Amino acid sequence: MTQSPTLSRRASSSAPKPQRTPRQLKSKRSGADARAGYTFLLPWLLGFIALTVGPMISSLYLSFTNYNLFEPPKWIGLDNYATLFQDERFLQSVGVTLSYVVFGTPLKLAAALAVAMLLNSKRKGQGFYRSAFYAPSLIGASVSIAIVWKAMFGDSGPVDQGLSFFGINLGGWVGNPSMTMPMMILLTVWQFGAPMVIFLAGLKQIPADLYEAASMDGAGPVRKFINITWPMLSPVIFFNLLMETIHAFQIFASAYIISNGEGGPAGSTLFYTLYLYLRGFSDFRMGYASAMAWLLVIVVGIITLIFFKTSKSWVHYSGDSK
Amino acid sequence: MINRRHFLTTVAIGTASAAALAACGSPAPSQTGSAENPVTINYTWWGNDDRAERTRKAIALFEEKNKDIKVNGNFTDFAGYWQKRATEAAGGGLPDVMQWDLSYLRDYGQRNQLLDLGTVKIDTSAFEKSLLPSGQIKGKTYGIPTSTNAFAVYYDPAKLATLGIAEPDGSWTYKDFNAFLTEVGAKGNGTLFGSTDYTSVWWMFNIWLRQSNIEAFTEDGKLGFTKDDLKKWWNLTGELRGTSAVVSEERVTQLAPKSPFGSNVTATEVTWDNFMAGYLGDSGAKELKLVPVPSDDPDNLGLFLKPSMLMVASAKTKNKDAAARFIDFMVNDPQVGQIFKTSRGVPASKTQRDGTTFEGTDKLVVDYEKSIEQYLKDAPEPPIVGFGTLEASFKRVSSDLNYGKVTIDGAADAWFKEAEDLIKQNA
Repeated sequence: MTQSPTLSRRASSSAPKPQRTPRQLKSKRSGADARAGYTFLLPWLLGFIALTVGPMISSLYLSFTNYNLFEPPKWIGLDNYATLFQDERFLQSVGVTLSYVVFGTPLKLAAALAVAMLLNSKRKGQGFYRSAFYAPSLIGASVSIAIVWKAMFGDSGPVDQGLSFFGINLGGWVGNPSMTMPMMILLTVWQFGAPMVIFLAGLKQIPADLYEAASMDGAGPVRKFINITWPMLSPVIFFNLLMETIHAFQIFASAYIISNGEGGPAGSTLFYTLYLYLRGFSDFRMGYASAMAWLLVIVVGIITLIFFKTSKSWVHYSGDSK
Repeated sequence: MINRRHFLTTVAIGTASAAALAACGSPAPSQTGSAENPVTINYTWWGNDDRAERTRKAIALFEEKNKDIKVNGNFTDFAGYWQKRATEAAGGGLPDVMQWDLSYLRDYGQRNQLLDLGTVKIDTSAFEKSLLPSGQIKGKTYGIPTSTNAFAVYYDPAKLATLGIAEPDGSWTYKDFNAFLTEVGAKGNGTLFGSTDYTSVWWMFNIWLRQSNIEAFTEDGKLGFTKDDLKKWWNLTGELRGTSAVVSEERVTQLAPKSPFGSNVTATEVTWDNFMAGYLGDSGAKELKLVPVPSDDPDNLGLFLKPSMLMVASAKTKNKDAAARFIDFMVNDPQVGQIFKTSRGVPASKTQRDGTTFEGTDKLVVDYEKSIEQYLKDAPEPPIVGFGTLEASFKRVSSDLNYGKVTIDGAADAWFKEAEDLIKQNA
């Protein structure tokens, strides 16, 4: 496709020639195709440059400045990045976010895979179950769910009352710094619908005769899972792991609502993006917030890279020699 | 890499820089409207449904008297309010007229975001001369106070009666006050607590400093008190934390955004006197009473009248005259006073105060401010740039203290570090 414009230019420069070879005719047409393609691409491209690339460059610039939104930014070099690592709240936000990613993501994927396997078999009303399990992830990121969640785990909310029925008296979770993280993780696990649907699609691709053959050889469900499902599904698992990890780093709305936008109690829900937002829009430290944003991009980039490097040893694509 | 949060941040920053460039143009002339073709001004405020209802009435009244102006009203709660204003200011699109808080006056006034109200026609002849400087920075008037409020100790007489505790008269030292809270907590038997930890409130700390003749901030924008002062302050309730004298931080967080007092969990609360309407609504109590804050020096209560709210206009408003007329109406019109009563505080302008009848609980608030008149000192100047951040971090650090996450020394270190960093940042 990148060659087409040059080809078409050559084609048009040879226009005086009365006779055209089929090859020239073809390249002229593909040149027109390319132009049409770029024309259709233009709105997106303009948007991409104006709304993504432009702001990203300006935020990179701002990350080296002291910028309070009102006065022109002052260049301070790497100061923002240096101060970050002496900022106790920043370090706290890194800790909070990492524990959320490390515990929340695997649990969410395990739930998604387990339910996907249950829903994979032919049973009555399977369509209903699939929609029912998928629904929470559709509304999960919304503000209303965070509010409902807060009420559920609040003082004498349903969770508190339910647990005290079994003699467990934890009180409300929302105000207890050691219970807010389990609560946030439960919230994300509950929204397993999106990876579940992808797992389901992956499970459908596994040929049934593999399982039949394994049954003939006397393999039980655990063996089948380890030797057939896991390797056959590994590209899908990899995809979901990558997407959900990146997604988990970006948690914001639910933390904002549940902690009244403060990251409390005692900083236990001070997620990275929440602190970034507070720094930018509450403390007017836009340069600092930009530095945080870029650091997040870099760290997520590195983690993605590590995933891709290590994936070679456990992700199997069909046609691989491994 | 798909990174939605980052994307949003960058969009906001991009818009901000574009707007900053656009803002360099020459100011537009003020537009005038007519009854057929009115100009529209935007007005925004923070508050609850009660205030929204009253404001809606005031706006309708204004539009009826000023057919050439339409007012577009909009409100949020206090926490979200300032983040929204920051975004708008960055985009150069602050609403024409805004309800404002003293804490943020310098941030926006000093950075040329607010209109110098000395350049437009607003009648301030009915205001106490001592009150107006709190809306001024370097001789320019950026805000007009709508009303005043003062600090007080609220208590619920019915709750004290059931516990068999005598009502306080407000002449008490900190030791007396602590003993009172401990007694309430002990007799409250786990269901009723003394109060919310009063050392977590910045303004109460400020008043305590003033009781020792210390100003919180110096004239050149530095801290006027030492780390030891702050430690001493947090030590005042050192023995009460974790007892039934003060409600646990866990409960406070659970009950937010309502206060423990409004939720009938505590018998008292130390706060601004204009919260009466809100507390009555939240708690369903029949009557709440007000007495002065404790002081170890009976002649110096450290109290002052603060503008509870200010009216400001955006520096970039295209409708200066309409904005000024609306502000003038909101602070001076007697009928507006009749609508708001004491829910914004006691009206600051005498015409509004005289035109309003105060009955029942509203009368309690007015009477309280009259009763402390002899103790009142000048209101503090608008606090330093970034004060909103400092106030929020004071609350946060105090909360960590109550959770037992930090020691008093650690809390004082943490707050001072932030304060010094902020002062350096804005120097």
